[in-house]
Amino acid sequence: MHSLGWIAVILYAAAEALAIRSLFRPKGLGAAPALVAAGLVAQFADLELVGRSLGSVPYRTLGGSIELFAWMLGLAYLALVLRHRERAIGPFLIPFVLAFSVLGILLPSHAPSGPATRGSLFAFHVTLAILADAAFALSFVLSLLYLIQNRQIRRGRTGVLFSRLPALEVIGRMNRTSVTIGIVVLAVSVALGVAWARRVWSGFTDAKLVWALLTLFVYGVMLWMDRRGWEGSRVALLSIFGFILVLFSYTFVNLYLSQAHVFR
Amino acid sequence: MSDSHETYLLVLGWNFRGASGPVRDRVAFTAEEVREGLRRLLGRGLVSESVIVSTCHRSEIYGVAEGEGVGEELTRFISDWRGLEPDVLERAAFRRFGAEAARHLFRVAAGLDSMALGESEVLGQVRQALAIARETGSSRAVLHRLFESAVRAGKRVRTETEIGVHPLSIASIGVELANKVFGELSERTVLLLGAGETGTLFARHVLEAGVRHLKIANRTPEHAEHLAARVGAVAVPWDSVSLELPSADVVVGTTASPRPVVQRDDVEAAMRQRKGRPMFFLDLTLPPDIDPDVRGIYNVFAYDLDGLEEVAAENRRRRVKEVPRVEEILEEEIERFLAWFGNLSVIPTLTHLKRRFEEIRDRELERLAPAERERLRPLADSIVAKLLHEPLRRLKNEPDAARKLERLEAVRHLFDLDRD
Repeated sequence: MHSLGWIAVILYAAAEALAIRSLFRPKGLGAAPALVAAGLVAQFADLELVGRSLGSVPYRTLGGSIELFAWMLGLAYLALVLRHRERAIGPFLIPFVLAFSVLGILLPSHAPSGPATRGSLFAFHVTLAILADAAFALSFVLSLLYLIQNRQIRRGRTGVLFSRLPALEVIGRMNRTSVTIGIVVLAVSVALGVAWARRVWSGFTDAKLVWALLTLFVYGVMLWMDRRGWEGSRVALLSIFGFILVLFSYTFVNLYLSQAHVFR
Repeated sequence: MSDSHETYLLVLGWNFRGASGPVRDRVAFTAEEVREGLRRLLGRGLVSESVIVSTCHRSEIYGVAEGEGVGEELTRFISDWRGLEPDVLERAAFRRFGAEAARHLFRVAAGLDSMALGESEVLGQVRQALAIARETGSSRAVLHRLFESAVRAGKRVRTETEIGVHPLSIASIGVELANKVFGELSERTVLLLGAGETGTLFARHVLEAGVRHLKIANRTPEHAEHLAARVGAVAVPWDSVSLELPSADVVVGTTASPRPVVQRDDVEAAMRQRKGRPMFFLDLTLPPDIDPDVRGIYNVFAYDLDGLEEVAAENRRRRVKEVPRVEEILEEEIERFLAWFGNLSVIPTLTHLKRRFEEIRDRELERLAPAERERLRPLADSIVAKLLHEPLRRLKNEPDAARKLERLEAVRHLFDLDRD
């Protein structure tokens, strides 16, 4: 099981090595994007196989959802590289793809039973939630890069990182796009989830829902303050805080606070 | 076989290392003078090929000639042409022959021989020199190959090393830092304080860097207006500098004012109006034009002369660190060139050609029965010798070096002599 998943992991690891190496070359993207693309294909096949064996979408399980999350992050990386020819992000983003892929494969995948996890409304709800989390993870990485680049510029350190990382304005813009997508997608996911919960549970309040609303609020504040004088490192810090909330929701809230509403 | 017609590469030059400014000025040629010089050189028959590289820091004459004595004749030629005492020229000049001449050009093209280590302009100038020589018909097989190889090596150095990546001048460092804040400067507004010498240089620099919105303020408004008109910028009144701040993304101080022109309060007010969008300050003078305290304001980037000079020193160190890698690349390319050039000397090619013919003869004889073979061997020997005789004679006695090299190259190609 998961042999394709492990192949993807190996490809991601190789991509990371090449991405780091290409940082020290004056020009060229190197083969990292191609390796990530190959990894994405392998991982997609893996998810497909898992889904078949479960007789449903693979992301009903915790492992599956994390693997799908990694897959979407990998896709986001590829999009950035192809659209912005942006190679400096790879070494920072690929480790996340790698780590979540491994985690997704290692975590148990008991398929939950029951009607609550079937139907297209549910499928959209979960897929969009994972997509939103991937967007927030991307924003987290971009925010780290922002802070690093900000520091290099302020100290007049014009070395490798300085020359490879994009301009602050560019990182900020990518961050804004990423968070906007995350907010919209998460909001739709929450709305679908609430509608679905009404149908299968006849209404509920749940720690995870509260947490999702809090996450939406924090990222909303971030976008708002971005235009109200906080553009820059403060907004980057807010995004990092937002992603800590996301991780917390994925781990602590998922495992301890929420009852019916969990990945197992 | 005699090698009386062996070919030599040489370069005779004057650069910032050995020649004083006045001497360099006298031997600096415009493109038109380069053409004239090339025609005269070839007309006198001193060299069979020539390329002249002339920039503000160097003038170098590359030539292909027969024998090393040509160096002195070349100096005399320049002395006649430019009206300079031969011994003055001679003392300031440097000369290199053969592989050393080739190596020199490779180093020049890679920027290793430049005053600003690793600068890239010289690569274009080398390419330009070759273009002019081709137009004039003065570069042929050897120099053509030499210059193309040097240009290729220079390009490899640009892409494979960082020798030209980190800027050395204060103005370019300032622009690079601002670029890393704003991404693109073309749509940003730059406010320049001061229209003196530093201001003028900086104005030129940012406009070359793609800035389209440049405002210039100067205590004496005529100077600002004059400079603005010359470079295509907008002059703004000195009194309204603080009013201009909110719309300025980059502010550059170049005045001789004893007290800061831009105060922290002004910047704070401007940042409020800008809703926190970043501002970038460069102070290129001492005492500072910009209150050093502005650095404490959120999203304000500010650099003074000391800070920028530190970056320049660091960048210079980075370039120096790249030199060994650059030299490795150059040696690889020089070796390739020299291998080709070495093959073009007459004796190895002729020996090679003879061996190739004999191989064919032996292979064909192998196919015969032993008795038959012995009987036909003298005939085969004689055919090979007769086939080789005329080409060998002509190649050896070709007086024109460039033509000889072209022919040697053709022979090597036609008989596939570079195969092994």
